[in-house]
Amino acid sequence: MHEFLFINGLSGLLIITALMVILSKKAINSAIYYAAQSFVIVVLFIFLGAQTGSGELYLWSFTAFITKVLLVPFIMYTMFRRLDDGELGSGQVMPAAFSAIGAALIVILCYAVVSGVTLPSAENLKPALAISLAHFFLGLFCIVAQRNILKQVFGYCLMENGSHLTLAILAPNAPELVEIGIATDAVFAVAIMAVLGTRIFGKFNSLDAGKLTTLKG
Amino acid sequence: MTPSLLPILILIVPLVAALGLLLTPTRNLTTRTCEGVHIGSIVLIVLLSLGLAASVLAGNHPSSLGGWLYVDALGVIFLLIIGVVGLMTGLYSIGYIRHDLEEGLLDAHRVKIYYGFFSLFLFTMLLSATANNIVMMWVAVEATTLGSAFLVGIYGQKSSLEAAWKYVIICTVGVAFGLYGTVLVFANGAEVLSDPHQAVLWTSLAENAKLLDPSLMKIAFVFVLVGFGTKAGLFPMYAWLPDAHSEAPSPVSGLLSGVLLKCALFVIIRYYALMIRSIGPEFPQTLILVLGTLSVIVAAMLFYVQKDLKRKLAYSSVEHVGFIAVGLGLGGPLGVAAALLHSINHSLAKALLFCGSGNVVMKYGTRDLGKVKGMLRLAPASGVLLMVGALALSGFPPFNVFVSEFMIFTAGIKAGYWILMLVLLGFFTVTIAGFVQIISGSVLGKPEENAKVGDVGKQTLIPLGILAAMVLIMGFAVPTPIARLVSQASAIVLDSGDPIVVKAPWSLFGNEEATVAEKAGNLIVTPAAAAETAQNTETK
Repeated sequence: MHEFLFINGLSGLLIITALMVILSKKAINSAIYYAAQSFVIVVLFIFLGAQTGSGELYLWSFTAFITKVLLVPFIMYTMFRRLDDGELGSGQVMPAAFSAIGAALIVILCYAVVSGVTLPSAENLKPALAISLAHFFLGLFCIVAQRNILKQVFGYCLMENGSHLTLAILAPNAPELVEIGIATDAVFAVAIMAVLGTRIFGKFNSLDAGKLTTLKG
Repeated sequence: MTPSLLPILILIVPLVAALGLLLTPTRNLTTRTCEGVHIGSIVLIVLLSLGLAASVLAGNHPSSLGGWLYVDALGVIFLLIIGVVGLMTGLYSIGYIRHDLEEGLLDAHRVKIYYGFFSLFLFTMLLSATANNIVMMWVAVEATTLGSAFLVGIYGQKSSLEAAWKYVIICTVGVAFGLYGTVLVFANGAEVLSDPHQAVLWTSLAENAKLLDPSLMKIAFVFVLVGFGTKAGLFPMYAWLPDAHSEAPSPVSGLLSGVLLKCALFVIIRYYALMIRSIGPEFPQTLILVLGTLSVIVAAMLFYVQKDLKRKLAYSSVEHVGFIAVGLGLGGPLGVAAALLHSINHSLAKALLFCGSGNVVMKYGTRDLGKVKGMLRLAPASGVLLMVGALALSGFPPFNVFVSEFMIFTAGIKAGYWILMLVLLGFFTVTIAGFVQIISGSVLGKPEENAKVGDVGKQTLIPLGILAAMVLIMGFAVPTPIARLVSQASAIVLDSGDPIVVKAPWSLFGNEEATVAEKAGNLIVTPAAAAETAQNTETK
């Protein structure tokens, strides 16, 4: 029972790290917070592995460590370090307090949705499952509530972390290749977004999504 | 499942071509070498897709990698679309990219990137159509975005970079919803199937669909529809489409509109088939029908007001994808077969018209319909081809789009959706008006006095000529192998053994085969026959 408590508690920590990623003023700091959050996910995978006796989850925690704690934050840190838009500031479209309240509302709504799911594997982990779903929508929230295009990349990463955790909770015995496919895709997605973001900064000299308005109608 | 090497080969060819081109330094490659590798890749792909089609028609289900790759009649339709449209837009690229190179719009390095990513893009689409592993299916659709993003932004201008960014962000985020849906279906399957490795295969899930949890499947389908619907360009998630499709080089626009949207639709159809088996047709059909109808309505209005030729065509794609969704939403053997046939027909016609718009860009240097006038006098062959494409997409007989549109309308009337069909018909007249504007102004209008007469090169005309011929052939008489594949695929989607005969309306008259089928009590899904059935039902 203690393991369940620990897993549910740790997933709560994900929401806090996600908010730090969203609210941080500089993209490179977000990359560090993202690495911290991914580390929490790696620990969660290990505990879930111990709880369910699934050997695959230990392998997942290993691949997640390589891709999400090391590789993706490294790509982001090295690429985003060179891009700084002083005019844009944090790029928030609403005050930080509103974002925190929004996050809380998302978690409550997701808990309501998840309480209807009847899968036996999720019975003791409903708070964690709700948080994984909420995490997915927090990522979407980050994209919608941000004008900084680099933060939009983080939004995608948060969404991806949310689905990853849902997969681990609901299907702990999923083949390792499934997880590798998802993780590799995330690395490529971030790399390509970073390259495009750099080219946009080179052309527009700005990271403001509000300035991408050449195409209309 | 029949073990076969073909599904692996069709993936290896473009992957090797892509990696070969992208990893070789530009200084070691001439433009001719790039073109040679590119042509080799697209020709082999079309041959292999034809081989797979022949194998499926012979009653096999080619499969490789322990069932991770699987090709049935449904998959092979989409493989053929990728193969044929890929070949035509690929051949068209040769002339188009040479022109861009001469004009200085691209340099040798960008040309190499173009051909490399063209093959990579084809690889990712082929992977999505051959994947039986639902997670791999998602990875493939996500990879199509990543593979084509650089193609969209290849000109490196402000507008193309903006389009590429919106494309990547909206589609990746959209497809993340698809991942969540995939995860839910997989978790659901892993719970009820004894071997979790089987829960990842679409074929196993389809066989055991009755065991899946209905409420979870409903949530999953909503995620899947939003996710892959974003990629397919359905309302309201289509915001990226007009930008990406108009800013990409014209052959890529043809590939994006003609093929990529269909690949995303293919994945939706796979899940739609799962839902029909697990929770019945009502829930998925209603959702798809609503999104499809709204897509047609919104896109028709936005299509009409566009002044940019390629943006206009992009909105027309949203409309046609919406109409394919309407066919799926109507359901039944007729609706699904019509939707599949419309997917093929729209791919051919849209590739023709997007490549035709490429000729416009080459000739006039602009896509602004206010400035493109008198194509028929200045560049007669291009003008005629553009007119054929525009007439086909407006839904005029004897072109192919008319046949499948008629079938969808008939399916709607047969299913009792009279009012909806009338409303949609109304919006289709708006589209016709839009296309008439293109024909009357840009093709038949009076050119500027000092404009130079002279058509674009043969390299860009021949592929269009072939596409136009296919548009006509599919309009006059759907070739028997295609008709058989469509009817088999429709049975796969609906999990029913109803034999269907798919033909153009006019090819029914005096046709022995159709009469025999009719006598045997089979369902004849020619528009004329279906309309007759509907009328009979009403009279009763």
